[in-house]
Amino acid sequence: MLDISTWFNDLLAGNVIFTADTLGYYWEGLVTTTQLVFLSLIAGLILAVPLAIMRSSKHKWISLPVYFYTYVFRGTPLLIQLYIIYYGVVFIDGIQESFLWPVLREAFYPALIAFTLNTAAYTTEIFRGAIKSTAQGEIEAARAYGMSQNLMMRRIILPSAFRRALPAYGNEVIFMLHASAIASVVTLMDLTGAARFVYARYYAPFEAFLFVAAIYLCLTFAILFFFRYLEKKLLAHLRPQDA
Amino acid sequence: MIDLQGYGPRLIEGAGVTVQLAVLSLILAIILGLLTASAKMSRNWFLRRTATVYTTLIRGVPDLVLMMLLFFGGQIGVNAISDMLYYNYDVDIYINFNAFAAGVLTIGFIFGAYMGETFRGAFMAVDNGQIEAGKAYGMSSGLVFRRIRFPQMMRHALPGLSNNWMVLLKTTALVSVIGLTDMVRVAAEASRATHEPFTFLLPVAVAYLLIASVSEWIFARLQKHYDIGFGGH
Amino acid sequence: MAATPTPLEVRNIKKRFGDTEVLKGLSLQAQKGDVITLIGASGSGKSTFLRCMNLLEQPDDGDLIVHGEPIRFKTTKHGREPEDWKQVVQMRAKLSMVFQSFNLWAHMTLLENIIEAPIHVLKKPKKEALEHAHALLDRVGLTARANAYPAQMSGGQQQRGAIARALAMDPEVMLFDEPTSALDPELVGDVLKVMHGLAEEGRTMVVVTHEMGFARDVSSQVIYLHQGLVEEAGPPDQVLGNPQSPRLQQFLAPKY
Repeated sequence: MLDISTWFNDLLAGNVIFTADTLGYYWEGLVTTTQLVFLSLIAGLILAVPLAIMRSSKHKWISLPVYFYTYVFRGTPLLIQLYIIYYGVVFIDGIQESFLWPVLREAFYPALIAFTLNTAAYTTEIFRGAIKSTAQGEIEAARAYGMSQNLMMRRIILPSAFRRALPAYGNEVIFMLHASAIASVVTLMDLTGAARFVYARYYAPFEAFLFVAAIYLCLTFAILFFFRYLEKKLLAHLRPQDA
Repeated sequence: MIDLQGYGPRLIEGAGVTVQLAVLSLILAIILGLLTASAKMSRNWFLRRTATVYTTLIRGVPDLVLMMLLFFGGQIGVNAISDMLYYNYDVDIYINFNAFAAGVLTIGFIFGAYMGETFRGAFMAVDNGQIEAGKAYGMSSGLVFRRIRFPQMMRHALPGLSNNWMVLLKTTALVSVIGLTDMVRVAAEASRATHEPFTFLLPVAVAYLLIASVSEWIFARLQKHYDIGFGGH
Repeated sequence: MAATPTPLEVRNIKKRFGDTEVLKGLSLQAQKGDVITLIGASGSGKSTFLRCMNLLEQPDDGDLIVHGEPIRFKTTKHGREPEDWKQVVQMRAKLSMVFQSFNLWAHMTLLENIIEAPIHVLKKPKKEALEHAHALLDRVGLTARANAYPAQMSGGQQQRGAIARALAMDPEVMLFDEPTSALDPELVGDVLKVMHGLAEEGRTMVVVTHEMGFARDVSSQVIYLHQGLVEEAGPPDQVLGNPQSPRLQQFLAPKY
């Protein structure tokens, strides 16, 4: 152990840029990025389930508003959405007097709200596609056994739709990780923010950005393998049985 | 009407930058995508491997990070080249690292990787008999590509192409961060200066939706064109 | 009288796919006006043999001489390959192939299919190519379908259209790869009638077929292949009328 730590210290001593100080920034950035992505994904997921059910509704007055929401959020850049919320939040009447202000004043929360609304829109459409592709036979069987619309949604349609949505949702998670890089634009010290800081201080773009690119690459692969593993476990019933 | 407080002309200019940037990047991405797809289908081990590394790296790193790497790194690279030319060959040229060109190069480079996947799938979807018939009638491989493979491949590629284009269009917003004056940058500046963010940001959001709708219409027409001869769709 | 070169000659063609040798040394010589039919059970190698003649398959060994000009080969790490692809392209323009599944180009109308290679490969003026195409369409009875896309035509119409496309090249030799196998029985007759006409006007043809009646009526030579080798060859009344090998006898025996 001692050997490794001396080796590491020597390595750090040998260069000017990757000091314990800058590595600390990257670490902080990693924490911020992880928090942002993780929290927005969870919140987005919770929003997306009811929205997807509404979006699949036969009644136009239920499905259309949801469609409008997903159309707008999927059709415009996340950066614009972030700006609107970040710059716009000040102008909500009475917000500066409310108890929420100390929270919303910081860049983290507008970013979290923008990311959540964005991923919820994409996830809604992913789930909707999966719900729509439920085998007609399974629905008929549920009806034949006297299941109500609600029970059928809960017991038959959603469980199989979630599994079918898994590969597309995995892509959405990776997309969110990458999209979160724009948090640095509103002064947040996420991974990309740390890289920009290091770049600005040492004027060393290759070191600063290649290092952070490598971190993102590792995170991407980690997510990829995690979803592969999930798919293997949850989609086992869809694979042909081995002889 | 909304009062744009004198920012109107600059916003329209910015919209022009966005569209030009998007279209030029798309062209570059299509060229790179075709090259990548051919490399991936080639017999040459080295070409296949290079293409795979390219697509994997691009898809594993955020667009914004790649953009900053190429943009800020590119400036240093260009300076190094002009220094080298000056000291070694006494050639004194100042190469201006043009932000617009850098934006086109970066976005084209990023989406070339995505296009590569789209085109590869589309090429493989073309019935081999169609290509064999071309060969059997004495067509060179270039002629087979131009007259048969490409027009038939496009039918399969268009849905993916259209999807990539929609994402690319939104990605152009990121150039505002590295200093290009597209419509997002103008709107953000105006928001800060006037403290009226909605007046500027909402019309820009609508502009994106408009461009997306127009392109959807164009892609539908193209699909119709390339679907000719393949029965109803 | 100057001797005209033999339109197509192949010698000792060998081909293997992985571990199985599908062609074990096949030769054939088509003189001007010859109609050579290749028959045999499926898997006998007859289609592969035909596809080696225009190098859609690369033979592992053997010679290919088109209109007196031998094709040059070289050996690379991927196996044997033509030395000069330009030569192959020129050679292919002299042979035209009619495929089992027609392979009319799906994104072009029938007329566009017919003028495509004459204009872009033979560099014919468009006007001339169009005139020729209309004459050929008339000949195969498809004048009314000139502007139809392949998907809008029946299999029989597509195959007659494909024959018109082949004729538009003024080919030295026509190669037919089971031209009626993919057709509904009632459509086979029209295609065979067109092929009969071609044989009568002295076209040089190599035909892979299951139509024994056609083989009997029009071929100058019938070759029976079995497992990549020539089992019997000769004029039709000899090979089909008086088969020697038990295998060919069984192959020709009426099926119940």
